[in-house]
Amino acid sequence: MGDVVLLLLAALSCHSGAVWLALAIRAHWRQVTGESAPDAATVRMLRILGAAALLVGLVLCLWADAPSMAVLVWIMYLALFAFITAFTLAWRPQVLKLWLPGFRPRSPLS
Amino acid sequence: MFANFRQAMAWVHTWFGLVLGFVLMAAFFFGSLSVFDREIDRWAVPETRFPAQPMPSFDQVLWPVYQQLRAHPLDMAATARRVEGEIPHPDTLPLVSLYAYTTHRDPVLQIGGEFAIPNKPLDASDDHQHVHGWASIDPRSGTYLSQDKLQIGSEFFYPMHYSLHFHWQDLGYWIVALAGLVMLVALVSGVVMHRKLFRELFTFRPHKRTQRSVLDLHNLTGVVALPFHFFFAFTGLVIFAGIYFPLGETMLEPLAKQHQVLEAERTGLPHEPAGEAAPMASVDAMVVEAKRRWDLRGMPGEVGYLFMDHLGDANGYVSIYRAGNDQVALVGQGVHFKASTGEVLREDPPPTPVFAINEFLTGLHLQHFKHWLLRWLYVFGGLAGCVCIATGFVFFVEKRKKQLAGHSARLIRWVDALAVTTVTGMVVATLAILVANRLLPADLPARGLWEERIFWYSWLVMLAHALWRSKAVASGLISPAWREQSWLVVLLAVSAVLFNWIGTGDHLVKTLNDGYWPVAGVDLFLLACALVAACAAKILRRREGLQQPLSPRNSGLQDNLEVARG
Repeated sequence: MGDVVLLLLAALSCHSGAVWLALAIRAHWRQVTGESAPDAATVRMLRILGAAALLVGLVLCLWADAPSMAVLVWIMYLALFAFITAFTLAWRPQVLKLWLPGFRPRSPLS
Repeated sequence: MFANFRQAMAWVHTWFGLVLGFVLMAAFFFGSLSVFDREIDRWAVPETRFPAQPMPSFDQVLWPVYQQLRAHPLDMAATARRVEGEIPHPDTLPLVSLYAYTTHRDPVLQIGGEFAIPNKPLDASDDHQHVHGWASIDPRSGTYLSQDKLQIGSEFFYPMHYSLHFHWQDLGYWIVALAGLVMLVALVSGVVMHRKLFRELFTFRPHKRTQRSVLDLHNLTGVVALPFHFFFAFTGLVIFAGIYFPLGETMLEPLAKQHQVLEAERTGLPHEPAGEAAPMASVDAMVVEAKRRWDLRGMPGEVGYLFMDHLGDANGYVSIYRAGNDQVALVGQGVHFKASTGEVLREDPPPTPVFAINEFLTGLHLQHFKHWLLRWLYVFGGLAGCVCIATGFVFFVEKRKKQLAGHSARLIRWVDALAVTTVTGMVVATLAILVANRLLPADLPARGLWEERIFWYSWLVMLAHALWRSKAVASGLISPAWREQSWLVVLLAVSAVLFNWIGTGDHLVKTLNDGYWPVAGVDLFLLACALVAACAAKILRRREGLQQPLSPRNSGLQDNLEVARG
């Protein structure tokens, strides 16, 4: 089994990727922030961040294990963290604000 | 017949999924348990609760063990049906080939071999002139494990996963294969039916009405674990491709035989015995040489698989394979020796691409590698599959609860009762065999058989119970069988942990303190199962209290209300 620290970092990275990709979807953005929809630039940014985080997760998995094993771990991570993200959105959506540091809700007047 | 492709796919998904979903549920559930089959074995056979052992010395330990090995009564009976005359007594049959297999999780060693028989086959084309023997031994002492002790994980749950223990004409394999094929079809048709695959990828709305939230959960567990579901259904079929397409034994038999002969010429590993007796050199020395060669290749390791053919013959050879702890393939890097002299006949080159892909596909499913995280991730994938199938059943029933008349009412009562049986009923049966394992007297003859009987009978009782309590479904209510069987799961899971403590003294404080994870893990998993079942039962109780029975008169009203709520 590969390095535990690397696999934990890979888990964190894949989780973040799943959360950012979810936040790029209008319904989930609303659940988490209370705002109706993210603007186009934010959506693009979230998608890029999400994809990059998943990629970093893959690299970390490849670092931890032989490639054949690493791919399996990564695919299962994607499934697990998409699932965890969906469940967090269902019951504790505000927790996901952690993935939006520095986010300030727009004032109703602007 | 259908207005569009999507509707056609919906029909296929619904009806094929419904019929074979019950089989799939068993395949997914027992597959998930099989991920930890060796650990369940330790729980079920307390005398094997000691650390995993490497392959023992062949010269000192194994050779005397193989002298005591005899053809298995089951295979004696099976072979007797396809040969002429009576097979001689097992004590007189010569051992002609043998194997031993172990992994990093095995304290006990699996051994086996083939015994030659003089009988002619009834079918002239049948050239399999052997009976098989197999056993598990304690590699520290060479003592045999009693065949009456059922290793529940690897000898019951695991074969259940791929054969349903239905051996007549190998029908179990075929039913599971058909279910695996339907799983692939269900995945494709499910994706076609899904209108918002990406937009609803993370969507689960537990607070909406049952039909909606159940469909969300069905889609979620199906889509996020789609690669897992696809690969496991597919590789499951690949593993048994030889059974499903037995070309080598049917149409292409002459070619397959010729291939074996040519392969033997190419590799230098004799296909046939020479017919002259020869002594055997030290196998331990061969193991040392094999390990030296693995070290040289930069892949040091332990022996995983040992095989010998043409025992006692001048053409005899010994194959030693490296255990696949650090790779997806089960074993590899074989080194082959001449049995009589110990000289190296061949060292396997790196596998060809086709062979490597096959090894990867089968290895990723059978998972003999050492990676505990991936093992747990597989359990998650398997249980996600179970949730996906179970929510499929519940959705089927919920959707039809409003159109209750004649055949439809009877159909959904049956579907609901079968769903109860394959969800909570299957868990009850699984726990029943574990409890039986701890309660039956240790020296009961055919103890393993009794454990298996208790499994099947308790499952049948759950079916009867589910059918008996299904009347509520016909009134549009939740069948109380779900809740009642959930409470039974709580009771049995906690009992199993308690009886393990009372019977063996290995309670959780002790096993956790000693870091003995096989037993601690099974106990913790049982307690977690009890907790989940208790929560489920409580939620069901609350939901049952909220429901009003549907009468034909107010069902229309109910429909209107649903429409109004959107």
